[in-house]
Order: sequence, then C-alpha cells, then structure tokens
Amino acid sequence: MNFEQFQNQSRLYVIGALEAEELQEFEEAREKFGKKGEDFISKCYALHEAFALSLRPAKSSDAIKDRLMAMVKAKKQP
Amino acid sequence: MESPELTSSPRGKKRGRMAHSRAGAHTIAPPLEPGAPSDSELMKGIQAGDADALSQLYDRYNGILKALILRVIHNEAEADDLLQEIFMEIWNQAKNFSEQKGKPLGWMVTLARRRAIDGLRKKQAYARAEERLQNETEQQPDAWVHNATEEEIVLGDTRVLIRKVISSLPPAQQQAIDLAFFRGMSQREIAAKTNTPLGTVKTRLELGLKKIYDGLKDLKDEL
Repeated sequence: MNFEQFQNQSRLYVIGALEAEELQEFEEAREKFGKKGEDFISKCYALHEAFALSLRPAKSSDAIKDRLMAMVKAKKQP
Repeated sequence: MESPELTSSPRGKKRGRMAHSRAGAHTIAPPLEPGAPSDSELMKGIQAGDADALSQLYDRYNGILKALILRVIHNEAEADDLLQEIFMEIWNQAKNFSEQKGKPLGWMVTLARRRAIDGLRKKQAYARAEERLQNETEQQPDAWVHNATEEEIVLGDTRVLIRKVISSLPPAQQQAIDLAFFRGMSQREIAAKTNTPLGTVKTRLELGLKKIYDGLKDLKDEL
C-alpha cells in the first residue's frame, strides 16, 4: 500500500467504514508509515467535527442539563 | 450552542474561525465570544473536577451533539437521555482526553457518535430507523444538506460553509457517507441497502471523503 492509498483508507478508517479484511492491511500500513501515518490519521478526525458541525443544532430539554449537573454534584460529594 | 456567533472578516463577510490541533488538522471550530475560555481550557477544568467547566462545555455543544444523536437515532426522548449520558461520560472520562491526539470537539463527537450508534443497535430500534431511513432516502436522497439555501450560503457561518462543501458532492457520495457516518453501516451494508456493487460503494466513500477533506483545507485557506 502506498501513502496515497493509505490516505484513502485512513479516511474510511476514522468513520469506521473499513471492512474487516481491509483492517489488517491498514494496520500493517499504519505501522509501516509510523509517525507520518499517525499524523495523517489524526488529521482525518477533522471529518468527525465537520460532519457534526454540518448539522443544524438541536434544542435539548432544559431538564437535561439540570439532571446532569445534579449527577455531577452528587458524584463530587464524598 | 443554538446559534453560533459569527465574526466579521475584513471583506465584510461573516465567517467562522479555524482551529488547529497539534497534529495540524484543518479543523473548523465554531466561533467563541471574546474572552470566553477555549475548549481546551474547559477540558482542563473538567479534568480538574470543575463542574462549571462542564456546564460551559454543555452550553457550547449540547445543540451540536444532540443534532448528531438525533441524526442517528431519530427519537427526541432517547436523544435527550443519551445526551445526558454522553456529557456524564465526558465528565467521567475527561482524564483520558489528550490534546495531543486531537481537539476536544473531535473527541466529544467521536464519543457521541459511538454511543448513539451503540444505542441504536442495543435498543433494537434499527429496524424502525431503517424503515424511516428508507422513506427519507426515497424522498430526499440528499436530505443531509437539503435545507441549505443560497441566503444561508451568503451568510457563511461555519455550518453553512461545511454544508456547502458537502453539498458539492454527488448525491450518491453524500448518501454513502451519510449511511457510514451517521448509521454506522459497513460498506457491505451500504451496498445491500442501496443495491449498489460493493466496489462502487467503496469508490463513492473514498472520493466523497477526499473531496470533503480537501474542501476543509480550502476552507482553511479561505478563512
């Protein structure tokens, strides 16, 4: 696998779209490319942010935050 | 964050801001109010046990994460419950977050997506969602970005700029990415779902993701 193919596979990898039989080859290439490969995979996670930010924010119930903060407070108490 | 604040560029257009991870990723972050703590500062606060930092992070991102969850599970009440669980997990797992591996928003989105897809499968709501998805894809094959208008594009906020990149893809590529990212489908599942050869699905995903990735780089240059 050359680096361009690795880049294509990396983008599939971060969204969980690699098939099982592709994963092993990808992991071997990942090891071969070392830090350069890891840096590229890190960059690919920008796709996650982009997909989330492409959505129109949804309103959540006010009670959710109240419950969340109550749970956090309860957990902090000894 | 219900309504992302916009900043004005020297050209007079409203623009989002770009953020950069240590790895140099061309990530796009929503704009912050002047003087507001960065996401990284809030994460450090959470790691130190500061509940107010979690409260601020919730205010900033609950809308985005809720939209992501809803996109996966299509159920308002379940999405609210899952949102609460996800922020609790952010609180509990913050010690495992490392800025060296990415930005806080990316970490939260990855976590939320995984939980939403897990939730979808565990609750065996998959069949119902599949049915709804079937109706959606038949009626609106490009529903992911269908409601971006020219007016919104001119306004140019972060979301619209990203949607502009995504909407430049052919509908078949958008659909393949939508099914993979928001439904957690494998290439084979997408092929079966769309009655498309596996090789074609792979090509659509590769081309579509590359275009979006390159489009994000172009956005960085533009901004």
